[in-house]
Amino acid sequence: MSEPKIEGIELKPGFKGMAEDTGSDQTMFKGVHWGKAMMWIFLLSDTFIFSCFLIAYMKGRGSTPVEWPNPSEVFALDAFGVPVPLLLIAIMTFVLITSSGTMALAVKYGYEKNRKMCGWLVLATAIGGLTFVGMQAFEWSKLIHEGVRPWENPFGAAQFGSFFFMITGFHGTHVSIGVIFLFIYAYKVFAGHYDQQKRGWFTSMKGDYVEIEILGLYWHFVDLVWVFIFAFFYLW
Amino acid sequence: MHPGIIFFLVILGSILFHIFTPWYWTDVASNWGGMDDTITLTFWIGGGVFVAVCLFMVYCVFKFSYKENRKAEYKPEDKKLEKILTWATTLGVVALLAPGLVIWNNYVNVPKNALEVDVMAWQWGWQYRLPGKDGKLGTTQVVNVNDDNPFGINLDDPYGKDDVMIQSDVLNLENNVPVKILLRSVDVLHNWYVPQFRAKMDAVPGIVTFYWFEPNKTGEFEVLCVEYCGVGHYAMRGGVIVQETQEYNKWLDQQEVFSDLIAKQEKMEVEKTKLVKK
Amino acid sequence: MSEDYNDNKTIHAQSSETMGGGSAGVTPDMDYVRPAEIADQDLYHGHSFITKWIFCQDAKVIGVQYFLLATFTGVVGLILSWLMRLQLGFPGAAGFVTAEHYYQFVTMHGMIMVVYFLTALFLGGFGNYLIPLMVGARDMVFPYLNMVSFWSFFVAVAVLMASFFVPGGPTGAGWTLYPPQTILEGTPGSGAGILLMCLSLILFVAGFTMGGLNYLITVLQARTRGMTLMRMPLTVWGIFTATVLAMLAFPALLVGALMMSLDKVLGTSFFMPTILKAGEVLEYGGGSPILFQHLFWFFGHPEVYIVALPAFGIISDLISVHARKNIFGYRMMVWAIVGIGALSFFVWAHHMYVSGMNPWFGFFFATTTLIIAVPTAMKVYNWILTLWRGNIRMNTVMLWCLGFIVTFVNGGITGIFLGNVSVDVPLSDTYFVVAHFHMVMGIAPLMVIMGAIYHWFPLVAGRFLSEKLGKWHFWLTFLGAYSIYFPMHYLGFIGVPRRYYEMYDSPYVTSAVGMNEFISLAAFLVGAAQFILIYNIIKTLKTGKPAGKNPWKANSLEWLTPTVPPEHGNWGDRLPVVHRWPYDFSVPGAKDDYITQTTPPSEVSNTGVEKT
Repeated sequence: MSEPKIEGIELKPGFKGMAEDTGSDQTMFKGVHWGKAMMWIFLLSDTFIFSCFLIAYMKGRGSTPVEWPNPSEVFALDAFGVPVPLLLIAIMTFVLITSSGTMALAVKYGYEKNRKMCGWLVLATAIGGLTFVGMQAFEWSKLIHEGVRPWENPFGAAQFGSFFFMITGFHGTHVSIGVIFLFIYAYKVFAGHYDQQKRGWFTSMKGDYVEIEILGLYWHFVDLVWVFIFAFFYLW
Repeated sequence: MHPGIIFFLVILGSILFHIFTPWYWTDVASNWGGMDDTITLTFWIGGGVFVAVCLFMVYCVFKFSYKENRKAEYKPEDKKLEKILTWATTLGVVALLAPGLVIWNNYVNVPKNALEVDVMAWQWGWQYRLPGKDGKLGTTQVVNVNDDNPFGINLDDPYGKDDVMIQSDVLNLENNVPVKILLRSVDVLHNWYVPQFRAKMDAVPGIVTFYWFEPNKTGEFEVLCVEYCGVGHYAMRGGVIVQETQEYNKWLDQQEVFSDLIAKQEKMEVEKTKLVKK
Repeated sequence: MSEDYNDNKTIHAQSSETMGGGSAGVTPDMDYVRPAEIADQDLYHGHSFITKWIFCQDAKVIGVQYFLLATFTGVVGLILSWLMRLQLGFPGAAGFVTAEHYYQFVTMHGMIMVVYFLTALFLGGFGNYLIPLMVGARDMVFPYLNMVSFWSFFVAVAVLMASFFVPGGPTGAGWTLYPPQTILEGTPGSGAGILLMCLSLILFVAGFTMGGLNYLITVLQARTRGMTLMRMPLTVWGIFTATVLAMLAFPALLVGALMMSLDKVLGTSFFMPTILKAGEVLEYGGGSPILFQHLFWFFGHPEVYIVALPAFGIISDLISVHARKNIFGYRMMVWAIVGIGALSFFVWAHHMYVSGMNPWFGFFFATTTLIIAVPTAMKVYNWILTLWRGNIRMNTVMLWCLGFIVTFVNGGITGIFLGNVSVDVPLSDTYFVVAHFHMVMGIAPLMVIMGAIYHWFPLVAGRFLSEKLGKWHFWLTFLGAYSIYFPMHYLGFIGVPRRYYEMYDSPYVTSAVGMNEFISLAAFLVGAAQFILIYNIIKTLKTGKPAGKNPWKANSLEWLTPTVPPEHGNWGDRLPVVHRWPYDFSVPGAKDDYITQTTPPSEVSNTGVEKT
């Protein structure tokens, strides 16, 4: 399905407009691409997954009898011989948020059918994501080197390691999947699949720049989740 | 035969079964007779709704069976009827919920004079511990449990020294004295349940859970584990003997106290060392 | 490859078909329907056997695939229940049913029936077949994803079945999989069995998510012209709302299964406190077993409604069609479905009143649970009020509907016992619970499934199932199942605990022996009766009476396809245009006793249609 064009329908703004759309036939979200609606609902479901993880983490942290490790010590990084708390994590967060910015720009240029700019920006986002995953791998290996394991750690409650590796691992998997798709989409943009409305490998739908926006939604969501993980693990 | 007749017989059979059933409550032997009353109330209201709905259905089936020349009524909505039914149902639900919550309030508020009993569960058995003269149970830890300290009492806790230890799956209780059951488990979930007392709660490893009741009939009762705990679940039984005060005290005096056990073990230790020296 | 696709028809061509002028500003006459907003869907048409019947992207074929695979798992679940009843009714009669095996059968029976049979059948089976047809779409919106959804389910079932053949066998921890028990040595299947179970559940959730996104977007964004939300058949409403619940409830199961696997494989202690086993303290410590119960029931309770809501929807349509009367209080029915769905997320801990969680939660969850009784009761009233002054065809489909009403009301009432916290205390973990949930989410939805099979089989296969065999099937199933579960409640009153491999040495349950034998015999009979249906289907496919178009004289779109059974793409050249709700039966003044959804008002202008 290509970008829907609505003839002869004026969409009313505000609550009244929303009620009218809901009461109407055919579509509830007027002019919204099927894939985009799907991504929103998928993300809602994914939100529940991460919420379950974080609530379990809070409950686990609250009920363990052994003391929880101090995050600013555990996550400190030696810079020029001085331990700086949360240094690495600040850089990681910065990189990820920046990649959200490049993604947003890619969407803009995509809708302007600016193939080159869009492609480069998607590629930049992919590289940003890859950097994030790389730094996360570095942090994991540092912690493992210091003796932190999913089942134990030298700093305090064993559950610290369990939740840390599980939740950042689950988030990291999300980022990695995003990176793979970003590279694929960068290729598709450069190859002009969206300009030619070429069908994808698995879908009967014609290619369209709206797909960049759909991937963008996913990417922003992954960033948003990171903000929560950051707050719960590193600042609490 | 018209299908409506069979449906009618099913309803009638259900009512008759309920009236004449030989399978019903054991006689309640604790203060939770209120639970039985709420169940009876729910039976009247709920059962009434069940019978009314089903009989109405059967009536419709008889009265409005297909006829070529009949036309059904066309009436999409009846706001007034729907409103009446909603409020009537709400009223019924409130009537059921209110007494239930009152009893639950009793259930979670344990009387101050209740005797605390430590019920320790494992795969697959029970043992019990009563507070000694000081009226307080000593604190415990799973890692302390061993042959010399079957309840895992913390040795540095002074309250634990005089605790009465009942290393048997049969517990004696005093009639008409409220009991607070403190449940703990060293391995998996269990649940200490005497059907005649009605009350129950899971024993969860890692935490101590509780409930209370006041036995009001003397006699022997069977304890069942009612939370699935592995292949031996169905065989995990115990017993309760409810006695009058005099007999109960007699029984209590015969029970071993933790400090006795320690003394006995120390004596054995001394003798062992003597033997080794010889 | 491009010739495999329909060409994308332009929106403009469709708009010009609009009766009474498409653009705003023209005064619409009574047949006016808003112009098309969405382009006609591109479909991939398979040519080979493999793309047409195996890796097929047609929602109808996928629906049938789901149906068949779910039925297969259901038969496995049925056989397990026979073995359990054999042991319970006649202890020791089958020597190979040891305690280990018994608990494995209990676990697998529960998990299979709830997740792999009922959920897959209602949402995957009926959802896939009916949603596109009922809302007037050509197919699900993402056909490829839909295909992957089924094959994920296939792999999930394969993994689940594989656990029967690994060393140690399938998990025997009860279908609730409560830790620490589940992964401790000594529990049957605590090795490979539980890992395969977790893996299978994760695969199921992943596959379901793909299907669920399809159902939701098809309903929200791909309805045909004139099909407003308030003109959708209740079947669609039920499946839609159930899918929303599933999308939000399955995450908790996924997280629980994942954490459990980590506890088993990596030795983390999410759910594992300090444990003393055979005199030794294990390496676990500091975890919370109750956390798993919360995660499980946050999934588990909505799951009940994931099964019940599609059943509610389907039964409403069946009753309406076969009573030749509009469903009474359609709006109330819709709001009840949505309300029940929303409330179902706030009641989960009523499964945990005696679990050792903070007992003060009991007040909250008892109240929310009993509030759900109100919309549910309204639905029941509306079903029987639909029968009132109807013109009831007493065929097999209607019998299943009546059977549903009896069993559902019975099970619903016993639910009020269990939801009311202090009444639950003596009854929980006894046979009362077993009887309650089998009546309300086993037998009642099964009645709906059977009714739906007899109702829609003429559409799927073009032939009527045999009424005579159908009536035998119904009476044996209904009377048999009722006589299993109705008396079983009374075993619960005595205090007979559930999940007991054997129980006869308790002095006060000896009277239950005879009852258990009777229940077992009834269970064998009811199970065997299901094979009548399989025989009926095979026989009908060969020699059944051809049904022709719209054999039940129904109104909804699935009966109005140009070909029966519908072909890929459903609607031929032109999509249907909808002018009314699907329940215009016996409208005063109308020639027939039904007016299809596609009949424009001008054709029936002299009738007393009240709701459109």
